[in-house]
Amino acid sequence: MKLVHAAVKAAVVSSSVLLLAGASLAGEIKGKVSVQGIKSAENIAVYVDAIPGAKFEAPTTKPVMDQAKMTFVPHVMVVQVGTTVEFLNSDPVGHNVYWPSISGNKKLAHNMGTWPKGEKKGFQFNDVGVAPLLCNVHPEMSGYIVVSPTPYFALTDKNGDFEIKNVPAGKYTLKTWSEEGKVTTQTVEVGAGTVTADLAVKK
Amino acid sequence: MGNNEKLAVKAVAALLVGIVVTFALLVMVPSGNAIPAFSRKYQTSCTTCHNNYPELNDFGLAFKKNGFKFPKDDEIFVKQEPVMLGSKAQKEAFPGAVYPGEIPGTIPIAFRYEGNFVWNAEQPPPVVTTGYVPRTDLFVPNTFTIISAGSFGPNFSFWIDDDISAGGSGANGGLGDAYLKYNDLGHIFHLPTNALNVRFGQFELDLPFTQARTPYLTGYDIFSEGTMAQGPACGGSVTVCGTTNNPFVLGLPQRGIEFGGSPNNGNFVWSVAYVDGTNSAYGLNTALVTRNTKDVYLHTSYQFNLERDPESRHGIQAAGATGPHDHTSIRVGAFYYHGTNQQNFGGSIYPFTGTINDPFYRVGGEVRFRYRSKFELYGVGMHGHDSNHLVDTVAGTVTSTNAVTFTGGFAAANYWIFPWLIATMRYDFVNSPSDWINGASESPTRNRFSPGYTILVRANIKIIGEYDHYWGVPFFPNGAISPSFYRPNTFITGIDYAF
Repeated sequence: MKLVHAAVKAAVVSSSVLLLAGASLAGEIKGKVSVQGIKSAENIAVYVDAIPGAKFEAPTTKPVMDQAKMTFVPHVMVVQVGTTVEFLNSDPVGHNVYWPSISGNKKLAHNMGTWPKGEKKGFQFNDVGVAPLLCNVHPEMSGYIVVSPTPYFALTDKNGDFEIKNVPAGKYTLKTWSEEGKVTTQTVEVGAGTVTADLAVKK
Repeated sequence: MGNNEKLAVKAVAALLVGIVVTFALLVMVPSGNAIPAFSRKYQTSCTTCHNNYPELNDFGLAFKKNGFKFPKDDEIFVKQEPVMLGSKAQKEAFPGAVYPGEIPGTIPIAFRYEGNFVWNAEQPPPVVTTGYVPRTDLFVPNTFTIISAGSFGPNFSFWIDDDISAGGSGANGGLGDAYLKYNDLGHIFHLPTNALNVRFGQFELDLPFTQARTPYLTGYDIFSEGTMAQGPACGGSVTVCGTTNNPFVLGLPQRGIEFGGSPNNGNFVWSVAYVDGTNSAYGLNTALVTRNTKDVYLHTSYQFNLERDPESRHGIQAAGATGPHDHTSIRVGAFYYHGTNQQNFGGSIYPFTGTINDPFYRVGGEVRFRYRSKFELYGVGMHGHDSNHLVDTVAGTVTSTNAVTFTGGFAAANYWIFPWLIATMRYDFVNSPSDWINGASESPTRNRFSPGYTILVRANIKIIGEYDHYWGVPFFPNGAISPSFYRPNTFITGIDYAF
């Protein structure tokens, strides 16, 4: 048993070393997401999929998902796994935040309850996937938290452009998530400079 | 049995069928309206204000009481900007300029359709010959309603609804409510917000539980109860008769002016209305009452909020572990209506006397228990009293006699199995010795049990059903002098959608 533990530890250390070494050769992934059968190329999450053996520390920053004018703001948020998201209610009406599943896994459903205007409640997302945010009194409200397995992610702008910085050199799988489209994957090889990756998302 | 007796039996049978049809007409008031116009204005779902439309939840009640505006910071939620009728700075130019106002940015119109499949209990043969009702009927009533409602700035609001197809294709419509309301009139007297409001026009009285916007397929019997003196009207061989012949029912719209308010977070509600008496029946478009007297209606109620957390208790909705919901609460209230029915104008019926005034009143109380957005139990008890005179057409005298009275009410329970599946149960009863003697029922008390269901297919589409187990109604088998009885039970189910 001790041997197994030691082997795992060695693997983690070695991969961290590799990543650190790669960091010195960090590059960036730039690209454009084009869409077919979808209204807009905006708010599509693009992230580097899980890297075998790699482990990342949870970020200490706590992004805020707001409920303002009866909408989730931002509509889509991408966070690294382990991130604590703070949910704020900016409206003078009662809101609720819950997600019925994470990527379809109903065991990961969670209801945050409700809280008054100006107050926040935090939740740490430790499971990779997509949490569709809902409010059980205002069913027209929706938002998404995309939990990325790596810290390398971006969200497309209204033109579908994205940019992921500080990606260590290596060969990765780039993955997309969009509200209406199917998941798209593409392999990218990052070096010291900028690598371009154009992706197409279909409905 | 002679020809005359046969004719008399037929006449009585026809009268009974007429009474049943009248009850059915009064009971099957097309229910009221949810407001998709507000959904468009605020870009929000019907469920924001309704757990089972058109019944209002706590937020919907607060929205309505506030003049069809969000209770706090309404402007930030409006997604359709209003058209300003003069800039806000014009206020400073008043009275040298017209006070500025606003109208909705788009025409606030919504539509609603209700159509039902009806199954009727088998009628006994004598009833079939005098008033045949098919065993099954598709899409009856077949009601299309147009609704317009909204606000004209911070204080004025309006509502108009009309069942434009009530009574069938091409028939006259029925104006429901059409009023203008001014909120927070008490501001000038430094009263709390919305402690004093006023509305004018045609409106349903501030009933303990709305008849026009009930979530059920049929109206409450007690709110549809009119009064008749016992025995036949004078004429022919009948020379002595009672004068009470009051078609007034509490549940129909009235024309008038109403002062009211809902201070203290809406927990305390009061209203005083000065009205014309019952205006018109849906779909009939004719006045049920023609008289010069004016009536007064008073209603007050208080809600005891049972939420433990003070912040939650004072909120528009309660804050729970799984989200906002209606407050767990008990509401109790009382109402009183006083009017004077008039007839025989200019001696039109009894030439030997002038106008006959029959004062009447209705008094009652209400209670409602709500457990979150999950369960509610409520009921009304009411007593009616109509003064009565005895007319002797031979002696030419009019003397006071015993009043015509009735007592009744209802108890209703609704349970949300899921937010989209609601089980309903209602019990209506009316104790009216006069109705019984006049042949409306088997016994002095009429009972009706109405289990039902509602399925919200979407927030604006529902399938609704109700079985009505009615009281025994008398009829006369061929050749019989004594009546037999049957129950005109119905099962109604259908669709209801608004957009």
